[in-house]
Amino acid sequence: MTGAQGRKAAIYGALIGGAVLAALPLVFMIATALKANVYIIETPPQFFPTHPTLQNFVDAWSLNSFGVFFTNSLAVAISTTILSVLLSAMMAYAFARFAFAGKTLLFYSLLLTLMIPGLMLVIPQFLLAKTLGLLDSRQGLVFVYIASSLSLNTYLLRAFFEQLPRELEQAVQVDGGGHLVIFTRIVLPLSTPALATVGIFTFLYAWDEFPWAVTAINTDANKTLPMAIALFQSAHQTQWGLVFAASLIAIVPVIVVFITFQRYFVRGLTAGALKI
Amino acid sequence: MASSRGARAVSLRGAGEAALPRPLALGRLLGPRARGRLTPYVFLAPGYLVFATFMLYPLAKALQISFYHWQLMPGRVSQFVGLANYAAVLHDPISWVALRNTVLYAIGTVPTQIVLGLVVAILLDSIVRLRVFFRTLYYLPVITSWVVVSILFKYVFSSDAGLANYVLHDVLHILPGYIGWLQNVPTALFAIGLLGVWKGVGWSMLIFLAALQSIPKEMREAAAVDGAGTIRSYTGVIIPLMAPVMLFVLVLLVIGSFNVFISVYLMTGGAPLHQTEVLLSYMYHQAFDYLDFGYGAALSYLLAAVIFGLSLLQVRFLRREVEY
Amino acid sequence: MKRRSARLLTLLGGVAILGAACAQSTPTASTVTVTFWHGYNPEETKVFNEKVVAAFQQAHPNIKIQAQAVPYDTFHKKLLTAIAGGQSPDVIRADIIWVPELADLGALVALDTAMTDFNTYSSKVFPGPLSTNQFKGHYYGLPLDTNTRVLLWNKAMYAQAGISSPPATIDEFTSDVAKMSNGKDKFGYAEGGTGGWNFLPWLWTFGGNVTDDSVTKASGYLNGPDSVAALTWFVNLYKSHQMGPSVLGGDPHTDVGYAKDVYANVLDGPWMVPIFKAVYPSKTVDLAPIPAGKGGSSSVVGGEDIVLFKESQHKAEAQEFIRFMLSRQTQVTMGNIGQMPVLSELAGSPDLPSFFAVFQQQLKTAKARTPSPAWPKIDDAIGTAVTLAIKGQATPQQALDQAANTIDGLLKGS
Repeated sequence: MTGAQGRKAAIYGALIGGAVLAALPLVFMIATALKANVYIIETPPQFFPTHPTLQNFVDAWSLNSFGVFFTNSLAVAISTTILSVLLSAMMAYAFARFAFAGKTLLFYSLLLTLMIPGLMLVIPQFLLAKTLGLLDSRQGLVFVYIASSLSLNTYLLRAFFEQLPRELEQAVQVDGGGHLVIFTRIVLPLSTPALATVGIFTFLYAWDEFPWAVTAINTDANKTLPMAIALFQSAHQTQWGLVFAASLIAIVPVIVVFITFQRYFVRGLTAGALKI
Repeated sequence: MASSRGARAVSLRGAGEAALPRPLALGRLLGPRARGRLTPYVFLAPGYLVFATFMLYPLAKALQISFYHWQLMPGRVSQFVGLANYAAVLHDPISWVALRNTVLYAIGTVPTQIVLGLVVAILLDSIVRLRVFFRTLYYLPVITSWVVVSILFKYVFSSDAGLANYVLHDVLHILPGYIGWLQNVPTALFAIGLLGVWKGVGWSMLIFLAALQSIPKEMREAAAVDGAGTIRSYTGVIIPLMAPVMLFVLVLLVIGSFNVFISVYLMTGGAPLHQTEVLLSYMYHQAFDYLDFGYGAALSYLLAAVIFGLSLLQVRFLRREVEY
Repeated sequence: MKRRSARLLTLLGGVAILGAACAQSTPTASTVTVTFWHGYNPEETKVFNEKVVAAFQQAHPNIKIQAQAVPYDTFHKKLLTAIAGGQSPDVIRADIIWVPELADLGALVALDTAMTDFNTYSSKVFPGPLSTNQFKGHYYGLPLDTNTRVLLWNKAMYAQAGISSPPATIDEFTSDVAKMSNGKDKFGYAEGGTGGWNFLPWLWTFGGNVTDDSVTKASGYLNGPDSVAALTWFVNLYKSHQMGPSVLGGDPHTDVGYAKDVYANVLDGPWMVPIFKAVYPSKTVDLAPIPAGKGGSSSVVGGEDIVLFKESQHKAEAQEFIRFMLSRQTQVTMGNIGQMPVLSELAGSPDLPSFFAVFQQQLKTAKARTPSPAWPKIDDAIGTAVTLAIKGQATPQQALDQAANTIDGLLKGS
């Protein structure tokens, strides 16, 4: 084996080893989901169930209007992602391309909220949502999710926009085009990798979010997937196979979104990478 | 890129005023200067409005709560206590234990995630086949829910023949006996930290990979070809180019590690004797188990102050090294 | 142009999705809706909706029950947030632990004054579960389902030690446990933790108490001679390797250890019987009352109460629902899916699973945990004391003195 081939083998070997470690707990999760009646998880761990069954997956889907919860999560996550990415792109554009009164203050006010634990905001947000009539509704979820994701998204997009070469925008301005044109026709199209990145992170956040969802939603018709999974856990007899099966079903859309959009990561975030 | 730039410029030049969208035509009525001054605010307004309503206002309200012996029932009067809640937090020995544990968790998980994420990113960058497959696999832990993996890891670290004990004792014979991982503070913190690293490496890997792939191919290839000196060429060339990204990842990972909660809550619940509490799990106990929301709010603001201070320090001291 | 319209479409799409999300159903004006929050798991929920709610609505066509399943682990937090926001439901199935706290908050209706026929129902239920609704001289709810812990004795391990029947007294228990422990991997007894739920049965059996009857102080009670004797006995079991590692959170858990013949005795609730049938079908579950000590055979009451919120706009209808939930028919229906009834007339009833009998017997003398809104912190203090004593970091007397001191402060504050 040549040196280069040896190195290649070593690289693949290391990657496979790491991938095994990354996947091991998940394999265990799948194995448990394929077992019936798992009220108590067996020790020593069984990776290959003796009588594998798909019953948990069937039960997870049919019990408890899982389908409704799934659709709700999808609607909420998609709306949140589109709106959050759009609004944060607009804000990022303002921060990246303009000088205006209060710019620093406004920008840092965004960053500040990254440092407060969201848990503490639940009660004030609840009171607010109640006043605005947004309780027990999917819109209520979307508004709060957008608000929570704007900081990080704006921050990321601003760093990206600042890197974009200005010649194209200047060309449009010379031509008499305003900022809306620049924004929609130049900046956004050039930013697809960053928008995709931000989009994936936002989708993931909205899809998995639980503390606010469980607080704000009461009726079954509006519940989201994380709540459905939590409902399988009861006071004394949690059937873990069911919980894991439900969680595995919930992961599928995220994997789909990830695989669909990850080609945008490949194009990279332009030379110079992210700057603070 | 240059040719497409030219092509785009040409097409725009031919557009003419008729192609301009309506709102801009309206803007012209306001006059160029007024329009210019308003534009950033127009872009800013929708997002910031949502943000201010649903984040800033609750933030202010939480701050207000921290100054009161807050009564949950609407209609009951809350007593203003000034800084008493903050004093209570600072005098509470468990708060300091929680702070210590949170800091240990950060120290243990953040550098590890950065190093491992970087290593995997570099490895992935150098292969062509199966890159998508590996990238997805490494990212899978990131998309799992904290609740589910915390329960999973609780069984991995079971003091009986859980996965960890089983592999280390029964299979590899490294351990003399089973370890009560979650019953002792050091091993419990280790288990929680391991979960944090396992779940987080994929995220930093993804960001580093994206940054790596934006570095011109020639530079990366030069570093790779240089046989024995690969490591040197990496540290000398590639890593300094990655420095801004690393700082960015560092700041975010520190913020994330200080917000660790569910894994602690579900794996140990802070036990034994509250010795494995972290700041957020303790805050949750105070607010939702003991109904002391004033205390919880004060604790969360102190936590925020610590994170803010740390972030400031990181940016101030490390940015100098990063920019050249 | 293409790109812009594409973007516009996406925007419109997002708005459309939001708009669809906005669509809400309007309630009919003639019926009254009563919201009921519960923590039943999906299987229990199914039976509850199909049999109980449907039957109620048939009998009361003008009352609609909106039953919400709330994830059990977050129930308390969600409830508190709802109360803070003035959005509490009408009725809930509340963990008995929460009732004093909710009553103290002023969120609940005192059912003994609000319900004209309260005494009819309160006299029909077991006294222990009923007492969990009591706070400062009033009853703030009625028991809905109950459970308690009894002794699960491992027939196989007993037979191996030559013992044919379970112990009836503490002394017998102590000597049996010693016989069945081998100091290494077989333990005569195992407990699942050190909190009130785990330790109080023994505390009470030894004749000890957490507080005085009026719940004003713990000094003299929690650290009184009987209580200290209980803790000393408990600690000795651990120190002589007769108590398994599960008490400090180690594995195997009590149920797993029982199934695998590692533990000879554990305390557990009625839910274990169906679980064992499903997971360990070959292992029988043998039940017996807790061995009697100075304080008799005493166990701890668990379960849920049904409570009514002051904020409710439909108190009369909600009370109808409460009455229905306490009817014989409903109690038997729910009893058959594992929710042990609270009606004393159903003790030993053939309509219920036969293994309920031992639990119902134990319930006659079972006690409620301290009815104080500060219970979580009191529980914490008890757990700390037991843990410190087991670990040898304090003597039982010292540990209980410290806990009693803490609890005094907590009781004074409420």
